[in-house]
Amino acid sequence: MISRAAASRLATSTLRSALPRTSISSTIRRGLITGPPAKTPRSRSRSETPTSAPLPSPTPLPEFAIPSYSPYPPTDGSVPDADGKPLYVSGSAAERQAKLSRMSSPLRRGTYESWWTGEMGWFNAVSKTIPTYRVLDEEGIPVKNAKVPDLDKAEALKMYHTMALMPIVDNILYQSQRQGRISFYMQCSGEEATVVGSAAALREGDEIFGQYRESGALLYRGFTLKSLMAQCFGNVEDVGTKGRQMPIHYSAPELGFHTITSPLATQMPQAAGAAYALKLDKDRQGDCVICYFGDGAASEGDFHAALGMNSVLGGPVVWLCRNNGFAISTPIIDQYAGDGIASRGPAYGLDTIRVDGNDTVAVLATVREARRRAVEGKKGVLVECMTYRVGHHSTSDDSYKYRAVEEVQEWNVVDNPLHRFRAYLVSKGWWTEADEKALLAKHKKDVMHAFARAEKLPKPKLGEMFTDVWAVKKGEQVPAVISEQRAELGRLLKKYGEAWKPWKEGLKKFAEQGEDVMDTDGRGA
Amino acid sequence: MRLTPLYRCVRSNARRYVTVSIDDASDVRPVDKIKPPMSRVAPSPQPENVSDEEPSLGRSNLLLDTEEKALATPGLVFADGHGLRGPTGKGRQTRRMNYYQSVRDALGTALATNDKAIVFGEDVAFGGVFRCTMGLTEEFGKRRVFNTPLTEQGIAGFGAGYASVGGCAIGEIQFGDYIYPAFDQLVNEVAKQNYASAGGYPQGSFTIRAPIMSVGHGGLYHSQSPEGFFMGAAGLRVVIPRSPIQAKGLLLAAIRDPVPTIVFEPKILYRAAVEQVPVDDFTLPLDQPEVIREGTDLTVVSYGTPLYTCLRAIELLTNPPPALVQFLPEQLRPPHPPPSIQLVDLRTINPMPSAAVADLVKKTGRLVICHEAGKSGGAGNQLAGEVGRRAFEHLEAPIGLVSGWDTPVPLVFEKFYQPDVIRVFDKIVETLGY
Repeated sequence: MISRAAASRLATSTLRSALPRTSISSTIRRGLITGPPAKTPRSRSRSETPTSAPLPSPTPLPEFAIPSYSPYPPTDGSVPDADGKPLYVSGSAAERQAKLSRMSSPLRRGTYESWWTGEMGWFNAVSKTIPTYRVLDEEGIPVKNAKVPDLDKAEALKMYHTMALMPIVDNILYQSQRQGRISFYMQCSGEEATVVGSAAALREGDEIFGQYRESGALLYRGFTLKSLMAQCFGNVEDVGTKGRQMPIHYSAPELGFHTITSPLATQMPQAAGAAYALKLDKDRQGDCVICYFGDGAASEGDFHAALGMNSVLGGPVVWLCRNNGFAISTPIIDQYAGDGIASRGPAYGLDTIRVDGNDTVAVLATVREARRRAVEGKKGVLVECMTYRVGHHSTSDDSYKYRAVEEVQEWNVVDNPLHRFRAYLVSKGWWTEADEKALLAKHKKDVMHAFARAEKLPKPKLGEMFTDVWAVKKGEQVPAVISEQRAELGRLLKKYGEAWKPWKEGLKKFAEQGEDVMDTDGRGA
Repeated sequence: MRLTPLYRCVRSNARRYVTVSIDDASDVRPVDKIKPPMSRVAPSPQPENVSDEEPSLGRSNLLLDTEEKALATPGLVFADGHGLRGPTGKGRQTRRMNYYQSVRDALGTALATNDKAIVFGEDVAFGGVFRCTMGLTEEFGKRRVFNTPLTEQGIAGFGAGYASVGGCAIGEIQFGDYIYPAFDQLVNEVAKQNYASAGGYPQGSFTIRAPIMSVGHGGLYHSQSPEGFFMGAAGLRVVIPRSPIQAKGLLLAAIRDPVPTIVFEPKILYRAAVEQVPVDDFTLPLDQPEVIREGTDLTVVSYGTPLYTCLRAIELLTNPPPALVQFLPEQLRPPHPPPSIQLVDLRTINPMPSAAVADLVKKTGRLVICHEAGKSGGAGNQLAGEVGRRAFEHLEAPIGLVSGWDTPVPLVFEKFYQPDVIRVFDKIVETLGY
């Protein structure tokens, strides 16, 4: 048992030995004042280990001194300067100016630009209201002051073809889910202009990070109906996800379309990373990343992480928010109390705009400009597209439990993105009723054909369950944990595949009916 | 969902409780004397006219479909302290509820009995995507039952803060698959709060609910079983109730317990599992496994959905259909008496009730564990290690583990990913014959 005094001595001696001799006396004299060191050594020589390096001594308090000027009346009752001059004079105008400029110089006190003020000025918005940019009104007529962007007939028609295709694909797959023919589906209804308008503004080498309601962008880029149906059915032709993912979780590296995953906003920091890679890559100067996300996803931590990293590190990326008013059932009123998502752009130092997401032409013009700014400035640009989710969130959702049918119908009739763009095309003389009928008939035929074909095809080989878990170099073997488990399933299938009815039935849907797993040692063909 | 009379007659004696622990000793009813194991004189175990389709989960004998069975649930404690006779002396009532209705009932009870209780999460206000909070906003108001912005880390941290100053926070993560953004808050903050503050915080309680496991078509992000990730989080209890009665009793117990608790709800059960659930406020014991079926030859331990799979496998073994008899060794085939297999619901996986399970295994000498999560980093290997150390001298066979494969859950392959009835059947036969 050590006595208290001894323990105290021990503690003191330990403290002494821990502190460099030069600073100990002054430190103790000032009562162990902590604070930023007067002169922090900038760098340590390599030979010094951190433990042997002298600790910086704490900054001493300034010597006590009576200020030469005081803003307050003297306490001794004497009368200050009788001529009425201000009591507090902090220097000449030039000195004050120097002080001011010092304050607003970069990286002082956590801000790039600011100035001193004596007024306690609270604020809640950078500008009072963020306007919403549009080119066409609901009737497809250019609004006052709007400059219609360059849009030739071929491009316009390509956009419209994609936009008109989306509801047809959506309807067939939605109904087929209802009939139990596919496991899940998500419609894009109401957001066609946002998705196709933005996709049309991209160039070939651009990278797309989608959330999950961007099949229009994929179709616009040339994703075939065959590939789309293959993914939704998860059949042998689903090369993108091999039947592993739920419908609409497309993946198309050949089109620069990164794999859709269900977690929200996880694509956002990834987009920041990809944009940084583009910034560094000499061969990809001029390419851009576009990252789609929703008003709900913007509440995730990943949203803030992404914008924060992108704003500091740079890299060309268009942050495209599809603000459709709902995150499943949660309306925006429960999602944020600030001014939408656009108000957050300036907080991260991003060029930001809010645009009518149901105006295809405005979205096109905006994303073209956003892309230009992003590529030239090698930085992020935020675009908030204001739209409305006309469909249910997904086939697992019945949105009439939380919103009125009339509200949805109103959007569909009064502010339909397809009608608006079509009216514009008609006004330009590029589109007729006959064209419309012919297009819809062709689309329906193509979609039905692709659908019927995809449904008949078998699912991938059962062994695909075990491939790609670990990225394996050519010629090398998968980790034993996979090959062992695959062999175990093969053994069980051989033993019970005929006798156990659920397996017998279940195996029929796969290509090779499970035999690929049965006749190997678990390492795969 | 109701059992047909035909099915009723082929029910095996799935539930034989030896003891029924009830809060009021005077209320102990004579244990429901269920008929002894069906003796099989002829090898024709499948009754006539029974379809050879596998029965759906909702028809499982695991579900307590009568008031009598429901009230005999072991460890059931009524909050009013009046025991099974109830405050009026006329007994207790039960109501037919599925899993989500029972969860809703528990949440309503928690809100009604504690003014500081709040229920929150994504899409909670309109009733939740699994309908577990249906009508609660209307009943208790928007201030106590509300939507949160879409941020799981926010939900977890918010709950921790609300509980830290004495509130009773009941959060919901919409899918267990989306709990990972909340991992930091749950593992670094919620789990450690009591330890870090020497018991100073939290002053209230925090319970977080999340649906897990597979429904057969969820794929990578709607079928996961993430419970294993929380097993290293000392201080954070993880409970997985198997049925409506268990859901209500364990959820209410968790809400009233100071230990922060994650209640993982197997999502396929929300609609499929229906039981007669006691209407009154009651709790079930936390941190204790429950013996669902007595047995002497082998112990099967599981939790959540696979319990239904395991019970079905045991039934197939007890009453083998002609197609499966060929896979049984001679001594397990009729007319030999069927093996006597014990089925245990682990219920809590953190803290792992290793000693209790080891004691059960010591009596049977054989253990098969089953869960949907992959083998690596799962509850099964953890439990197998503990039981292997504690009951080494009693074990007569290697401990079997039937689990999902160590791959993500793949959509179209899900039926061959999940521990299937036949895989459990095979493992039990293998372990018995060792």
